[in-house]
Amino acid sequence: MISSTVGIWNYWIVFCLMMIGLFLVIGRKNFLKKIVGLTIFQTSVFLLYITFGKIKGGTPPILNESINTIYSNPLPHVLILTAIVVGVATTALGLSLVLRINSEYGSIEEDDVSAQDLVDYHDDIETGKTLDLKFKK
Amino acid sequence: MHNNPILRISTKILFAPIILFGLYVQFHGDFGPGGGFQAGVIVASAFILYSLVFGIEAGKKLFPLNVNLILLAFGGILYGGVGIVSMILGDEFLAYNILGSSPQSGQHIGILLVEFGVGLTVSNVMIALFNAFASYDKIKEK
Repeated sequence: MISSTVGIWNYWIVFCLMMIGLFLVIGRKNFLKKIVGLTIFQTSVFLLYITFGKIKGGTPPILNESINTIYSNPLPHVLILTAIVVGVATTALGLSLVLRINSEYGSIEEDDVSAQDLVDYHDDIETGKTLDLKFKK
Repeated sequence: MHNNPILRISTKILFAPIILFGLYVQFHGDFGPGGGFQAGVIVASAFILYSLVFGIEAGKKLFPLNVNLILLAFGGILYGGVGIVSMILGDEFLAYNILGSSPQSGQHIGILLVEFGVGLTVSNVMIALFNAFASYDKIKEK
């Protein structure tokens, strides 16, 4: 009864995780929290694909004697195995960018970083330098 | 965290079981869910836990950086080497059947070696990433 109205509850968890991740990426100004949000978003996508591949009563796709074995679809699992590895690499890349920003600006808050950029921009205008000159150097 | 007795003792108790569970997942990969990726991360988590609790220097003493980098490369070489060996023996790249006396034993040896290479690389990449991020300030000071 419940299952007919709710459907497969994995999808609800996917939905919640995806929205939590999206909110963290958009709503938080801290770069580290943005990366955490990105990771949660990724996890929701992993769960979505694993749910596609799962078949009720399915076994791992390994040959055995009985003919009527039902096995889960291995393709989404393999796809997500790659996605997890790529996810680790992108998280490491993002964290290293955050470290670099922190060493350059002394802050990982988006507002502080943009404010410092704005101050630099206005200093350049007041001293007569244009942005083009800055980039030509 | 060095002076917290609960963390210190629970880390010492947990360290060996985590690695044992990692090995279980590693060798279970032939027949069911599990394999090199998962086992590598679990084994790496034991070393990362040790470094978190006892400090990054103690972690580097337990698992030196050059050993880490050598094992990292060795895992990839082992994976590729299995493929090259099966080519030398006269079959295609990563065709396991020719490695053993019978196709079954060949498959068994091939999967075991390839998964071991993957596990080695993944665990060492995780530890190397952790070390790189944890000792970032010290690199900058030099």
